[in-house]
Amino acid sequence: MRKGNFFFCIFLIAIAAYATFAATGWSFKTKLFPLAVSIPLLTLLVIQLLLMIGGKEQTGESAVMDIDFSIEVPPEVARRRVFGIFGWIVGFIVLVYLLGFPLTVPLFIFLYLKLQSNIGWLTTVAITVVTWGCFYLLFQSLVHIQFEAGAIQSWLGM
Amino acid sequence: MFDAFIEGLILVLQWKAFSLMLVGMALGFCVGLLPGIGGAATLALMIPFIFKMSPAEAFAFLLGMHSVAATTGDITSVLFGVPGEAISAATVVDGYPMAKKGEAGRALGAALMSSLLGALIGAVALALAVPIVRPLVLTFGSPELFMLSLIGISCITSLSGTTTRGQIKGFAMGLFGLLISTIGQERQSGSLRFDLGMMYLWDGLDFVPVLVGIFAIPEIIDLAVRGTSIAGDRPPENLSSGVMEGVKDTFRHFWLVFRCSIIGVFVGIMPGAGGGVAQWMAYAHAVQSATDSKERGGFGKGDIRGVLGPGAANNSKEGGELIPTVAFGVPGSGAMAILLSGFLIMGIMPGPEMLTKHLSLTFSMVWTLAIANVITVILSLAILDQLAKLTYVRGGLIIPFILLLVFVGSYTANGQIADLIVTLIFGVLSYFMVLFGWPRPPFVLGFVLGKVIETYLFISMTRYGFSWLTHPIVLALMILMVVVIAYPYIQQRRQRAREPAHA
Repeated sequence: MRKGNFFFCIFLIAIAAYATFAATGWSFKTKLFPLAVSIPLLTLLVIQLLLMIGGKEQTGESAVMDIDFSIEVPPEVARRRVFGIFGWIVGFIVLVYLLGFPLTVPLFIFLYLKLQSNIGWLTTVAITVVTWGCFYLLFQSLVHIQFEAGAIQSWLGM
Repeated sequence: MFDAFIEGLILVLQWKAFSLMLVGMALGFCVGLLPGIGGAATLALMIPFIFKMSPAEAFAFLLGMHSVAATTGDITSVLFGVPGEAISAATVVDGYPMAKKGEAGRALGAALMSSLLGALIGAVALALAVPIVRPLVLTFGSPELFMLSLIGISCITSLSGTTTRGQIKGFAMGLFGLLISTIGQERQSGSLRFDLGMMYLWDGLDFVPVLVGIFAIPEIIDLAVRGTSIAGDRPPENLSSGVMEGVKDTFRHFWLVFRCSIIGVFVGIMPGAGGGVAQWMAYAHAVQSATDSKERGGFGKGDIRGVLGPGAANNSKEGGELIPTVAFGVPGSGAMAILLSGFLIMGIMPGPEMLTKHLSLTFSMVWTLAIANVITVILSLAILDQLAKLTYVRGGLIIPFILLLVFVGSYTANGQIADLIVTLIFGVLSYFMVLFGWPRPPFVLGFVLGKVIETYLFISMTRYGFSWLTHPIVLALMILMVVVIAYPYIQQRRQRAREPAHA
């Protein structure tokens, strides 16, 4: 945990350092605000990093005004589930890119319910059809959101 | 004056205006529930439909829709941890943990009742303030608004940790949010900043994909990890009594709700600040109401005051935003700018005439805000216990739908796949922020306020050089900012001094 926090702090320092370095080459008007922000940010992050290195960072202290992740699940299982859900999220985006939203919605709902949640065939099909119907009615017929065609449709000239 | 007040009510209660208000409210209800489809965008979509309406009908329709969207946005925030509207993001911080504790009904009851009180206070403020607010708005130039925005960020960052070291992370996150807001074209010179050679970044990052990613993705991950329903394996609360408990909470903390409503009105009056700021300032004030650091540590973990404050401010700011829009034709937000175009379509010029010739129309807006919110809250309270049951549906069934809402919502920002990638990137960032205890609220407020702050800073520097730093109101606001930052330390010291005495 401490190691991860340390690397996260390094990551933020890298961003702040990059921002400071990139901004120095700009005109006064353009760089005024980014530098006014990035320099104090870099300073605070370095202080935070030094506190961590010096062991003065209080471990286990969660942020006030923010949620805590559940700790009831064993770390190994939790890690596996985190990777699993990230996989589904990335898969959803890849599907949207390849097939477009209108096809991805029923396909994703069907696959998730069947493969991840192990729901019975009938319920899965019923939920998929209802979701697709709601999606079509609400976002396409009523709100008229223009969904881009997927890459596959474009390649096929559809 | 009183005659105009009653005439305003009669205008709203005419069958056509009232029916159109109900149609607007139904639209606003759906828009509020769906993440990403903002109230402002829907206002813009509905503008073409008002051409054949009378002014009173048009404003009943538009304002009915707009005011309700802010109220129902809280429902999605509490139930799924996905902000229904960008302006209801602060409700997620304590509302969703309450849902996880099996108290969704209570959180929803509190959110809706505080929204109603906030809306009524906003409407009263609109009715009372129009004649007297002019000097206040004219006194606040860019330097004062710049300082006011800084106070907003200071409020939230100074309360981000129970210790000094915890606050370093808070301030760092606030600055990080400000830095992210500088991505894209610089408004004054048009120069590109941090665009990484991508045209998508030229306009900067849109609020919706970032906010949805920041708040929704970690909640979805947590839900997937737990493998239970949102409310976990807890026995179902008595949902309807939970809703009533939330309603009672609103009156138990009435003065907090009142103060947060006033904050909402005040922020609403200030051009450019908007609901994104009002909710967080109100949230910070709610956190400040904690008597000691231990109690403050409960915020973010399901403290009812964290739901009441933003709920009240979100809706009271509607009345506040209408004040400069109606009285001077200066819109306080994007939604008000669209509403202003509605005024012009109706052939009405906002300004002094709204206080003389069109006074009854001005009061009809006050009545619309009040009536629309009363009806929405009564209807919502009737169905809340059913909605709260969603938190007991097993996670495996509900996750794909939340993901769908999240990504369709973020896609509506620009209609590009890149919006989804932005949501994912900020979702991952947010996951690590929560995992390692870096607070998200300061980041979000910094991001929301960044462009506004930069514009005010630029105008102040161009117009006054460094002399704006000596303006009396700026100096007063600087002192206030120091007090705001020092307040948690003072509170901690006082508590420490008190503890040995009690021991």
